[in-house]
Amino acid sequence: MIAVENVRKTFRSGSHDVEALRGLSCKIDRGRLAFIVGPSGSGKSTLLYLLGALDLPSSGSILVDGHDLTKLSETDTNTYRRDHVGFIFQSFNLIGNLTCVENVLIPFLPRGVTAAQKARAVELLTDVGLKHRLDHRPRQLSGGEQQRVAIARALVKDPKLLLADEPTGELDSKTGDEIYKILRHLQAQRQTTLVIVTHDRRFITSNDQVIEIQDGQLVGEDLYQTRADLR
Amino acid sequence: MPNVRVWFLDLATLGIRSPAGLSPYSDTGSMWKFAWRNLLTRPLRTALALIGLSIPILGVIGLFSLSEAMRNLIGTTLSRVQGVVVLREGAFSPVFSDLTSDLLEKIAAVPGVRAVTPEIWKIAPSVEGRSAAGNIVRNVLTRDPKAPSKQLQNMLDQPIIVGQDPTRRAQIKSEVFPKALLKGEAGGRYLEPSDVGSNHVVISTKIARDNPMPDGQPRKVGDFIDIGGKPFEIIGLYETGSMFLDVVVIMPIDTARKLLNVSPDTVSSFYVEGDNPALNEELTARIEQALDGVDGRSPNEFASNFGSLMSQLDLFLLATVSLALLVGVVGIINTMLMSTTERFAEFGVLRTNGWSRRHVLTLVTAESAYLGLLAGVVGFVLALVFTLVANQFLTSTGLSLTITPRNALLGILLSLVMGMLGGFYPAWKASRMVPMAAIRLGAS
Ligand SMILES: Nc1ncnc2c1ncn2[C@@H]1O[C@H](COP(=O)(O)OP(=O)(O)O)[C@@H](O)[C@H]1O
Ligand SMILES: [Mg+2]
Repeated sequence: MIAVENVRKTFRSGSHDVEALRGLSCKIDRGRLAFIVGPSGSGKSTLLYLLGALDLPSSGSILVDGHDLTKLSETDTNTYRRDHVGFIFQSFNLIGNLTCVENVLIPFLPRGVTAAQKARAVELLTDVGLKHRLDHRPRQLSGGEQQRVAIARALVKDPKLLLADEPTGELDSKTGDEIYKILRHLQAQRQTTLVIVTHDRRFITSNDQVIEIQDGQLVGEDLYQTRADLR
Repeated sequence: MPNVRVWFLDLATLGIRSPAGLSPYSDTGSMWKFAWRNLLTRPLRTALALIGLSIPILGVIGLFSLSEAMRNLIGTTLSRVQGVVVLREGAFSPVFSDLTSDLLEKIAAVPGVRAVTPEIWKIAPSVEGRSAAGNIVRNVLTRDPKAPSKQLQNMLDQPIIVGQDPTRRAQIKSEVFPKALLKGEAGGRYLEPSDVGSNHVVISTKIARDNPMPDGQPRKVGDFIDIGGKPFEIIGLYETGSMFLDVVVIMPIDTARKLLNVSPDTVSSFYVEGDNPALNEELTARIEQALDGVDGRSPNEFASNFGSLMSQLDLFLLATVSLALLVGVVGIINTMLMSTTERFAEFGVLRTNGWSRRHVLTLVTAESAYLGLLAGVVGFVLALVFTLVANQFLTSTGLSLTITPRNALLGILLSLVMGMLGGFYPAWKASRMVPMAAIRLGAS
């Protein structure tokens, strides 16, 4: 389970401070699909990055399965990122000088890749329909294909937590639908906790948890039903 | 997980592991591949950085081989001299030395001395109307197309007059010049007792070439050559092949005194042979003890004097090259900074996937190490070409440049280290980024 407690995040932008999160608290259940929604600039991405330990909050705490991310050592933070969280970006963020398989294997590259890890990467790419693209470079792939490689990369570590920041933001709606289908399927199959940031509510179903943010503050939880009129 | 860590690098990242760590991993070369591809992404930029570093490396390797060639030449030159040269105390060479003639008996009386002969060494007043000072000025002023190797050569080319005692030197066994006479008719003969008082000279084939007859042919035995405004008859031609020796004009000592205005009371130096050449050091010590104000120089001592002179020259040249090296490293820093700055998002993604700062640092350092290594290899190849070309111009000096494996390796290693140094700051900067900031920087 994830518990975000009174988290503040302030960015220094030139001479003034920008408060991206202002004392936000929320909970996300284990094995659930949760959406973080809200207008642009409300702090959704910031919250997601903090869940991935890609930065530290200015204050407050973030507990993932009882471990406070703000108190992890450098080494434990690296381990958390490498083994426990999969991150999917809006703009795919594949590495141009690595092939698809190598992109999927990024978490393991520094330590050397085992044959088992490589086989796992190939299997995942096959699962997302890219068996014939293993040794291609990202620029040879369409946006939808690139995002599928990114999904395989996020999954190669068998993470307990999957984070996706507007995963369909740069895709056309048909490709976006496919990506959501894949994400939902994988989440259901593996029972991982999946947190998706989006400002497009059409993918949200009644089973999903919804966290709505405005101006860095929680304005509603599980509001699928009640705030449907705002869609 | 057994890691090999050296300073800031995680060498395991590059497949360098302690043996125990080897077994479960395959494909450890992928980081190297990755670093290599990152360099090739911008081939032009990589090439420019390479050139910037390889030129000073060429300089380093070239200078080392030049100074080694000089040392070798001096070594082979001195190995021909088997006697001891007695000079005024502190004089650098016979040309800058003067002693009184009466020392001859005192030296001859030193135990172990077998033969002594006085010599006069002076820079030639003029040869075929050209004076030493005039030569230097002219060489500096004229823009010779073969400069600067030709100019350097000409500076070392000033003919030197050596006056020898034709009678006394007959007892000397180890003299360089008589042995270097050309074979057969063309070589003529060396000074003999009958030459006393004559205007006979023995010159090198080089001087004969440099001062040709009016029809352009080199001077031969039997021809005359103008020295200090007077005609001298060439009776012998020699060739040692060493640029330090092939500048000498040998004539009878009394003739030299008249030409150079040296009184009968003074000589430049004495050439001394002992009973046993192997005991030259001891002989030198005995001479210095027996006589005040003289230095005895065995060939070894000359060699070490030249050695220290060369070391100072090396140091000076190295300082010059260091400057170029600095510029090369700045080029690497610039290249790597550009390359890492435009890849911040990538580093953010790597960190997102659990790469440590050390891993990022190692990746970028591997890239700059590649750059350094490549620049070293390119510099080495350039140095090979440079020595091939330079040797064409140096044949007449007896200098021959060769790149020893040691120098090549040193140059390449130096380049590797310079590359890694240049990559360190960009690597450190890249590794310090907070992943979220890095990714957002890259996205905007
Ligand atoms: N590095 C930064 N420096 C300054 N302001 C930032 C920085 N990152 C984010 N912000 C600001 O924080 C707020 C929240 O950003 P973000 O989390 O990206 O919102 P969302 O994802 O909901 O659009 C925005 O006002 C944004 O401009
Ligand atoms: Mg966002």
